[in-house]
Amino acid sequence: MASDYDVVVIGAGNAGLTSALTLAEKGRKVLLLERHNVPGGCATSFVRGRFEFEVALHQLSGMGTDDKPGPLREILRELGVLDKLEFVQMDDLYRIIMPGVADVKLGASREEIISTLKENFPREKEGIEKFFDLVYEFCMQMIGGVYMHDPDISREKYPLYFRYALRKSKEVLDSHFNDPVLKAVISPYWSYMGIPPSHLSFSDLAILLFAYIEFKPFHIKGGSQALSNALLDTFLQNGGTARFNTPVDKILVEDGRARGVVTGYGEEIISDYVISNASTISTYYELLGPEYVPEEVKKELGRSTIGPSAFTLFMGLDCEPKDLGIEEATNFIGTSLDMERTYALSKTLEKPEMGLLSCYDVSDPDFSPKGSSQAVFVVLQYAEAWCNIGPSEYYDTKYRYAGFMLDLAGKAFPGIRDHLEEVEAATPLTHQRYLGHPGGAIYGFDQYAKDLNLFMNKKCPIDGLFFAGSWVDSGGFQPTLTSGRQVAKVVIKDMESKGVPR
Amino acid sequence: MSSMDFVKDIDGYQDVAKEIEVLRNYARDYSYVGRNVKRTIGMLHPRRLSLRVSEIREETSSTKTLRLVSISSNGYLPPFQAGQYINVFVDISGVRTSRPYSISSSPSQRGYYDITVRKVEDGFVSSYLLEEVKVGQVLETTAPAGNFYYNPLFHGDDLVFLAGGSGITPFMSMIREVTDKGLDRKMHLVYGSQWEDDVIFQDELEDRALHHGNFKYSLVLSSPPDGYTGLKGFITAELLEQVLGNMYDKMFYICGPKPMYAYCVKELEKLGIPSRKVRMEISGPPKDVTLEPGWPQDLDKSTVFKVEIRGGKTIDALAGEPLMVSLERAGIVVEAMCRSGECSMCRTKLLKGKVFQPQGVRLRKSDRDFGYIHPCVAYPIQDLEIMI
Repeated sequence: MASDYDVVVIGAGNAGLTSALTLAEKGRKVLLLERHNVPGGCATSFVRGRFEFEVALHQLSGMGTDDKPGPLREILRELGVLDKLEFVQMDDLYRIIMPGVADVKLGASREEIISTLKENFPREKEGIEKFFDLVYEFCMQMIGGVYMHDPDISREKYPLYFRYALRKSKEVLDSHFNDPVLKAVISPYWSYMGIPPSHLSFSDLAILLFAYIEFKPFHIKGGSQALSNALLDTFLQNGGTARFNTPVDKILVEDGRARGVVTGYGEEIISDYVISNASTISTYYELLGPEYVPEEVKKELGRSTIGPSAFTLFMGLDCEPKDLGIEEATNFIGTSLDMERTYALSKTLEKPEMGLLSCYDVSDPDFSPKGSSQAVFVVLQYAEAWCNIGPSEYYDTKYRYAGFMLDLAGKAFPGIRDHLEEVEAATPLTHQRYLGHPGGAIYGFDQYAKDLNLFMNKKCPIDGLFFAGSWVDSGGFQPTLTSGRQVAKVVIKDMESKGVPR
Repeated sequence: MSSMDFVKDIDGYQDVAKEIEVLRNYARDYSYVGRNVKRTIGMLHPRRLSLRVSEIREETSSTKTLRLVSISSNGYLPPFQAGQYINVFVDISGVRTSRPYSISSSPSQRGYYDITVRKVEDGFVSSYLLEEVKVGQVLETTAPAGNFYYNPLFHGDDLVFLAGGSGITPFMSMIREVTDKGLDRKMHLVYGSQWEDDVIFQDELEDRALHHGNFKYSLVLSSPPDGYTGLKGFITAELLEQVLGNMYDKMFYICGPKPMYAYCVKELEKLGIPSRKVRMEISGPPKDVTLEPGWPQDLDKSTVFKVEIRGGKTIDALAGEPLMVSLERAGIVVEAMCRSGECSMCRTKLLKGKVFQPQGVRLRKSDRDFGYIHPCVAYPIQDLEIMI
């Protein structure tokens, strides 16, 4: 049977979009299928009253500036979407507010950060210098050796990388600093990986700090939905076909090779290549079926744990950020120095002790209507506790937890309660509903050291079936956008080697 | 040597390798996870419900309540928040369309959802539901949805409901819930109705007001009979001052016929109520779009435009009718839910031509930039090409 398409991409999340676009741009006939009615997956927004709430993007990494472009800027340029979007640079990394304990703002340059930290923690001067030297040296080595695929990578050539890559972040923090406040102030980005410093590999913490300092944090005018819309738009202009409100029920397999998909409407679509932007778990067990999951895959999947989802409180405020004392776009708010405890609480429905409050209006005054602003407050939450409550208790539980969040936000910004005009809350089950991911996971599997790319066997036993997104690479915007692009390149290479005509 | 062999030289590699080996031997079984995801989503937000009409009750001469129960063997219905609606799909003489109806029953029980339907002049769907639908018939609906409900995070405990005509239905659910559960919330319903003998839920409202100290009921008749001694006219600032007294820290909710919103908002402004203290229910497309501000002056509503659907057929569409209605009439299915421009379910890409979208259509900024429209309240003012 002749193929309907060269490639079918399942899911229009970040990685689904970039893989579909990369293939279409290379002249391939691509069908992009999405269950929901909008592209983006996490990268989306929704409207309540006069506010449009950003769902997922807090700080876009890897952009860099025009003079010093970062890897993501290059990718977006190659994809042809850069000119369709307006990026807003955020002035600072973040402000971390621990009421009664610390209130520190970290700028977006290495010098500024070091001097701020020295000022606030004068007794730790030496450790601060050393720590950033290490972060920088380490990252340069990781980039040179691993990211650039140096064929002569060795311990001798990249000593710091080999010494520190798998160290736990906490060990490195402990060996540089004494003050627990400083340790907390310097490491809130662990929440961007979803794993506390006691387990987070130093590679992950270091590259986060390095990337945001070197390439600066960014936001997008119109939010992440603008990015998703731009990617889709360019895909369509390149001759791609997209269908929304179209779930995929099955991946067709013939003689151990992918042969297309069956949609939720029972329609068979024939194609020799399928890229799944769905979770690996549901792709194997739901879309392929248990008979296509060999022992090796079972073990590989089963050795990882499903990562955190999030609880997000979207607040539309009838005042400007400064009226509430919100001076930064990115605010970590915490009441505990104990990051292990903070993390442990993400598996319960108890009061959270640390969250991230983003106020995009600070860096983009057009973000909300004049005289108003929005604050998006998010904490990590695993879905399990939410799955264990019955449907009858769902809304009460949601409001109770949202109440905890409001209390926590109010500790940093008293008076926030008096300016609420719209409030919406998203639980792990909300994320599960819209993403379809097990556990409503926002970053795929938990990202322990053992789950680093270095140790993952992503090879799919079904020829022609590929994965793109957070379940096979890191989570977050830059990693997933990059993941889709890379997978598409592998597919293109495979097509070329097999002589699949264009 | 494989290109990844260097990994073995990284400090700590042995520990990680061992951890991986152990975990592989005790691998978690994820074969059931997908089913659980579907189950959890299905319990809270199924895409569709099949509901059987178990009872039809006449409320007034113009209005009936349809009691809807699940057709599934366990009778399960998802929870909802008082004030939410379900979108009811119907097939009427070959046309598949839908209308959202607020659930009027209390969420404190989930054996059934009541929807209360009033006959609307030229109402395509309301006539069908009131005159054709029989007990035992099965209707397809969406799961409960919508954002017009009490939010304990910031609505406070002093609520004023401004209802007009059939706009009573979401409030009925809220009033029933609060009084049935004995919740610690004050409610004052100011209900504008035209005729004394066509007040929906009149007896029950009086009865609940009589037995519950936290619920007050003020009926306002716009066409009162001679000698009527109750409140008359419209819901004005003066009337609200008279019945409510102190306005401080009250949350106002409005639901009723479309013109009522602009009217009440103005009256509340006169009283100095900040806009964040006013919640409004969705209200469908305007009755006559040509009266909306911004409508192209010289365009007649009966003008017919061609709408080409990419990869499909070309249909005729009336300028004065929401594009969604023209599509439905031509047998083209677009996802629909609120039919008021709010929920974005019908989001559609406009490839060519122009539509008129009245005030209050809630499009995302970038959707506007990239040419998306909400066909439920988008009116063709040129020939169009769209992508579904």
